[in-house]
Amino acid sequence: MTNAIPSIALVGNPNAGKSSLFNALTGARQKIANYPGVTVERKAGHTSLADGRPIALIDLPGTYSLTPASLDEAVTRDVILGKQEGEARPDALIVVLDAANLDNHLCFALELLALGLPTVVALNMLDLAERDGLTLDPERLSRELGVPVVPTVAVRKRGLTELLVAVDDAIRTHQPREALAAPANDASLHQRARALAKAAIVTETPVRRWTQRVDTVALHPVGGLILLVALMFVMFQAVFSWATPFADALEAAVGVAQTWVVESFASNFLRDLVVEGLLAGVGAVVVFLPQILILFLFILLLEASGYMARAAFLMDGLMGKVGLSGRGFIPLLSSFACAVPGIMATRAIPDEKDRLTTILIAPLMTCSARMPVYTLIISAFIPARSVGGSPIGLQGLVLFCLFLSGIVGALLVALLLRRSVTKGNATGFMMEMPRYQWPRATDIVIALWQRAWIFLRRAGTIIAATTVILWLLLSFPKAPADSPLSQVEYSVGGRIASGLELLVKPIGFNHDIAVALIPAMAAREVAVSAMATANAIDAGDDEEKMSQQLGSTLQGKWSLATALAFLAWFVFAPQCISTIAITRRETNGWKWPMFMVGYLFLLAYAAAGITYWTAVAFGLG
Amino acid sequence: MTALPITLLDKSPLGVAVRIARIDWDAMSDDEGRRLREFGLMEGCEVTPRHRGSIFSRDPLALTIGRMQVIIRSRQAAAIEVEAIPREAGAA
Repeated sequence: MTNAIPSIALVGNPNAGKSSLFNALTGARQKIANYPGVTVERKAGHTSLADGRPIALIDLPGTYSLTPASLDEAVTRDVILGKQEGEARPDALIVVLDAANLDNHLCFALELLALGLPTVVALNMLDLAERDGLTLDPERLSRELGVPVVPTVAVRKRGLTELLVAVDDAIRTHQPREALAAPANDASLHQRARALAKAAIVTETPVRRWTQRVDTVALHPVGGLILLVALMFVMFQAVFSWATPFADALEAAVGVAQTWVVESFASNFLRDLVVEGLLAGVGAVVVFLPQILILFLFILLLEASGYMARAAFLMDGLMGKVGLSGRGFIPLLSSFACAVPGIMATRAIPDEKDRLTTILIAPLMTCSARMPVYTLIISAFIPARSVGGSPIGLQGLVLFCLFLSGIVGALLVALLLRRSVTKGNATGFMMEMPRYQWPRATDIVIALWQRAWIFLRRAGTIIAATTVILWLLLSFPKAPADSPLSQVEYSVGGRIASGLELLVKPIGFNHDIAVALIPAMAAREVAVSAMATANAIDAGDDEEKMSQQLGSTLQGKWSLATALAFLAWFVFAPQCISTIAITRRETNGWKWPMFMVGYLFLLAYAAAGITYWTAVAFGLG
Repeated sequence: MTALPITLLDKSPLGVAVRIARIDWDAMSDDEGRRLREFGLMEGCEVTPRHRGSIFSRDPLALTIGRMQVIIRSRQAAAIEVEAIPREAGAA
């Protein structure tokens, strides 16, 4: 053995509970990055053996065999074979098997065992197998496979110490040998796997599994869809109502910080930059963290419980009609949180044209960065009352409609694209439907923390930088005291915006919006921080104006028609550098990201225009 | 065996276990075929169609194979010939 920290890869089929096991082993000590050159997430972490020696763990994307069908499956193969750039070949493998699905999962295990690396099998989710009426004999399986088999229940942290001891022993006692020839064909591999599974199963009581009982409702042709729509509806209502107290508290904290800085320091350039630029701008975005986390919480729960695959099943019929597949539902639903992971998740779509179309429409899903914009405008312009005495809030309903516009728009665009630029054969749709299970709280908390951290890092970098640049542009040159123009209008930034204003005036946009649109190219939520910064600059030292919330300031300046047009614009506008960059990387060139930006701006302009003109016609101008 | 009626999996009634008699591998791409085999859908295996589509369409088809539930499209199911399982064997 070398002195280097041994690295161990967790590998197994999708739905084997690999990530839960990885979380249970590493706790929060993990790091997510990308493999160089590809956008496949590399999850690495570390833990230590009983005697304190550290070991490094990596969690590889789930796959069915060493013959990859998609990009992330290719990474799994390359890492295991030591061909992945920037990743040393692991010193040992932990092959994770779902104890209740041995006949299938043993196929891949046999393929991995043939490689001749030190290997330990984790017989995972043993409790669920017992729930399904299975009694297994791990020792028997170990004898048959010739490697240690450790029963684990990741959720209850059962078997983890034994697993690490077995891995340590396997590395120490390993006799290097040549890889065996891969089994001749699929049929003989499956036969061998089935024989092994049969040997390992002691008793098998047929029980009607409750997964099937739930599915009679959840996959019902009508009932299932109603349930899906209801779940989505609850999700969007919750985003609004649950987040309010937390958002208010954050907002108050930003206000306290601003007041403290103003009172503690003499008025100078730096103080103004911090108060008007950083605190006003970044603060305006950070207050949306609760909403973003609630949205992610729902998505993570749907994923971890196994419901997401049912949603894909239900949506496949509809998505098939527009030339996509149910596979695309998961990337698209993730895009509700953020288009970047959503576009990355399209790697699981095997068909190239199907994948490209899904990438191109992903930005139409209402991502969390739009939440600050939507929330600001909705809270300011839509009264917080219920719809006709029902328990449905009007604000939540408007938000739901905005989400729905994005979805309907996306389906129509997909339909058009699949008949023109991404024409191709109808695609296949094959996926496994995992059993239902209770999401594990720790897994959810870790994932939420990672998302919160990514969001805050963005707020601290991209958003802070754009806000500071914008503050400089809007603060200089100083407007003379007798100028009829406000400071913002007089500044360099304000004059650039006045040029843009000519272009967006027909669709009801004013100077405030023009100021916000340019920096919002960096990220949508910057539109809010930009308006907050402009507002703070114009307020100057006027304490009363300063303390007035951004929403109420806008209320006094905008018509309802303008506000609605602004909302409609953000349903479509591709204002996100990260999305454009990830699209370039995932499509290997500038052609598709440019196409995406072009068609989305056209749609945004048209949607805002139609909204504005209609609203004005109804007398809301 | 030959006396048993052969139907296509996409026409097979829901909730009734059937045995795969033959798969027309040429009707699908190599990748599709391999994924089917990775799911364990091969000649001689028993599968039970469980759910079919939503109100939007008859697609896709969810089936149980062993202890797994998988989703495939009708087009792929139409390439799979299935036969009824004789009573005594079906009880196993």
